[in-house]
Amino acid sequence: MAAAATVAAATTTKTPHHAHPRRERAPLVLRGASLLYLGVMVVLPMLAMTVQAFQPGPRAFWSAVTEPYAWHALKLTFATAFIMVIVGAITGTATAWVIVRYEFPGRGLVNALIDLPFAVPTVVTGVMLVALYGPDSVVGAIMAKGGWRVVYNQPGIILALLFVTYPFVIRSVQPVLLALDRTEEEAAATLGAGPMTTFLRITLPTLWPSILTGSALSFSRALGEYGSVVMIAGNQPMLTKTAPIYVFGEIESGNRHGALAVSAVLLATSLLILVVLNALQRGREIHDAA
Amino acid sequence: MELPPSRRLRFGLAAAAMLASVAAGCDGPSAAPADSLKIGGYSVVREVLHEGIIPAFARKWKEKTGREPEFAESYSASGAQARSIASGFDADVAALSHSGDMEILVKAGKVAKDWREGPYKGIMTNSLVVIGHREGNPKGIHDWADLGKPGVGVLYPDPKTSGGARWNVNAIFGSGYLEAAAKDAGKPDLSAVKDLMAKIQANVVNMDPSGRQSMANFAKFRTGDAVVTYENELLLRAKEGDAIPYIIPPATLLIESPVALVGPSVKKHGNAEIAQAFLEFLTSAEGQRIFAEYGFRPVNPEAKDAVPGRLEPAKVFTTADLGGWKKLSDELYSTNGLWTTIAAEVVQNRRN
Repeated sequence: MAAAATVAAATTTKTPHHAHPRRERAPLVLRGASLLYLGVMVVLPMLAMTVQAFQPGPRAFWSAVTEPYAWHALKLTFATAFIMVIVGAITGTATAWVIVRYEFPGRGLVNALIDLPFAVPTVVTGVMLVALYGPDSVVGAIMAKGGWRVVYNQPGIILALLFVTYPFVIRSVQPVLLALDRTEEEAAATLGAGPMTTFLRITLPTLWPSILTGSALSFSRALGEYGSVVMIAGNQPMLTKTAPIYVFGEIESGNRHGALAVSAVLLATSLLILVVLNALQRGREIHDAA
Repeated sequence: MELPPSRRLRFGLAAAAMLASVAAGCDGPSAAPADSLKIGGYSVVREVLHEGIIPAFARKWKEKTGREPEFAESYSASGAQARSIASGFDADVAALSHSGDMEILVKAGKVAKDWREGPYKGIMTNSLVVIGHREGNPKGIHDWADLGKPGVGVLYPDPKTSGGARWNVNAIFGSGYLEAAAKDAGKPDLSAVKDLMAKIQANVVNMDPSGRQSMANFAKFRTGDAVVTYENELLLRAKEGDAIPYIIPPATLLIESPVALVGPSVKKHGNAEIAQAFLEFLTSAEGQRIFAEYGFRPVNPEAKDAVPGRLEPAKVFTTADLGGWKKLSDELYSTNGLWTTIAAEVVQNRRN
């Protein structure tokens, strides 16, 4: 559930800055302890991996990453994650909108179900998706008639990624929507703006930072997804083998450096996304406070 | 969660006790270390060891010494198991899918260099690479070449993620390679076997991460028309009441899975006596009969009577006939390896 915690943390930082109580300096012991913990748990393993990935030199690193199978796996991973993010941003925002703005029977249940994808082991996600869309299922048979290959093909990867990142956008947009001051929307409506114009010009500008946060977290999460993808993608090299599956395969095949180099790329990208996100948010906080 | 001080204390104590018991649990609470044994096995032998071999051995040990032995068992994919033992998991007995993985342990100094020097060359079980098919064999599958016919959906696990899955691809490669080598031993013409491998790979519906997953997809989700797997896996399913019909190709590969003692672990635990006895029991006629019951083929000729009526292929070859694991691994699965290249080309051709 670490992922859910990240969402919560990311969204709370967006409440207007002036509402914060005055920050105190943490006592040295506390600061030291938490930094030490972070160092041992997070930074050290990342460092160890990065150092090993670069040990044979930057040229060896580069050739390991650009080796055709690795390169394709990376491209595939980024492309599918990107498509997933576009779909997830739209559907996630819409879902958050519906559960915040409308009353309907079963709303509480829907709200509870949203977090379920985080609780399901990702391997189980893969099994569920194969059960639903697999060649022997009703849905799978219908899709096969239409020439749609989902399971054991690239669309399957996107499906799996959408499932495992489902809560991110919703949970990051929801609190912002809840806290939104509706008087501006009402004013727009009285001035004759249609619902679409109101949404695009009044609501969306407030929402987009949270949509961006949710999307960035989804993207980062999707880069590393293994369990569900390995079940549903088919794992064919140069077609459906994503970077994490490539990494595992190369470890099994004794190509440790190849695996580490690709891992380092995934790690660096995730880190970059989170750092940029953090910077953007800080920028906004300062902007809000001013 | 805000707890009242007394409950907080109790919670802390409970947590500390839990930690302590976890730490203590590693060494086994009851039996003396000399009578306990830690098994690090590959997934496929889980059933036969846990339900068959270990209870039988425990009875024997009790009879012989009057003491109750204690077993700790860990099973995972062969490569993963080998890597974890190599990096410190203190299993006393390593049972792996193939000798290539055992060499990882030799290199790490965990298994003696002479582990092959037993009567059965360090091999614990034999099996064959076979092809499971649908009821009534509607696609007419009798040999490897039939897997390459148009419209046949084939399943085998990814030989990259599953070291054991390489038995399957090695079998397909080997049948063609030996045919070519029979014609010209010096410079065998590999074009026919490459063609066969490409045709079969083009029919592969899905490459699952493990053999077990392939079986599940074939049986439960009814994916594909044929599944390339081990005979013992299919016989185990039949034993559990879920039989899948299969054929043995006329020429196929003998699966030889090794076992060895992990020297440093045995030394650390001081249980050489039980470890040695267990190792001997594995290949004894009695032990091999239990393996046969679970679908393996006995390595010990004294247990041949345990597999009556099992078909023999016309020709059985071994990885040694193909040049050994190391050579196969380099030539087939490295970055520029034959299988790696073919698997990628198949995809390219499909797109055009």
